[in-house]
Amino acid sequence: MGLNQTLAVVYFRPASTGMVPAILSLIAFLTLVVWRFVFAGPHCRHLVRAIAARQKRHSNLLAEGLHILELGGAAAIADRPLENSADEQARLDRKDPAKRYLQRIAALTGATRMDDAYVLDVGKMQFHVRHRYVKRLRDTTDPDCAPEETCFYPVHKGMPKAEEIATALLLLTNNPGLFDKWAAQSGAFRADGQAFRPTQ
Amino acid sequence: MNAKILTFSSHGDTTLLEYDPATADMEEINRVIAEYEAKTGAQPFDMATGERLEKVTREQNEVLMVHPIAGG
Repeated sequence: MGLNQTLAVVYFRPASTGMVPAILSLIAFLTLVVWRFVFAGPHCRHLVRAIAARQKRHSNLLAEGLHILELGGAAAIADRPLENSADEQARLDRKDPAKRYLQRIAALTGATRMDDAYVLDVGKMQFHVRHRYVKRLRDTTDPDCAPEETCFYPVHKGMPKAEEIATALLLLTNNPGLFDKWAAQSGAFRADGQAFRPTQ
Repeated sequence: MNAKILTFSSHGDTTLLEYDPATADMEEINRVIAEYEAKTGAQPFDMATGERLEKVTREQNEVLMVHPIAGG
């Protein structure tokens, strides 16, 4: 159709020599237009079909991948049915050196974790140690025994929270009388109960 | 296996001293510990038992220097 129109232009205006370059350009342009619609159209449609097919295949692969992941997740869950969040937390804690030390020292001293505190039994006494705060029950066998509380802080700066708790657990296990010294707020004390002045 | 004297630090722990317990001069080890204790107030604990040590012997493989704590 486009080709016929081009031929008509050529035959109706043969004498105009000044128009030859323009006519030739027009012919070339129209030829390109014809080629574009007659030949390139199906090719483009083919390309579009090919891309669509590829995208569909890609989507299928993604769907299959997700399905496999879902199955894998279910299998992983099925493999560890008894693993609970506490175990997961313990697994993560093992990556942190400070928390690892706290776990080791809690095990050494027999302290058990209860919420955000560690419960430590030393004779009849029971301590609840958490970050910079400790509560004491002087005699767990006495139902009328009221809890006492005090705060503590390490002289050595920059220690992670977990290690501050671990330090308190170790010190109280070896010297439960330190609680009274901390409560008196009369400075820092070494493990053996001796006062310590940082300028010494 | 080497023995270690370590202390808590901002990144978990810092090794103060590492030595072979079979051949080390334990007097020298205890002298270094005493110097550190005098300077920082930290005292040695056996990480195998959780007990405070008066003297470090060849039996200990991991000794933690525990820093003083103040009441607040």
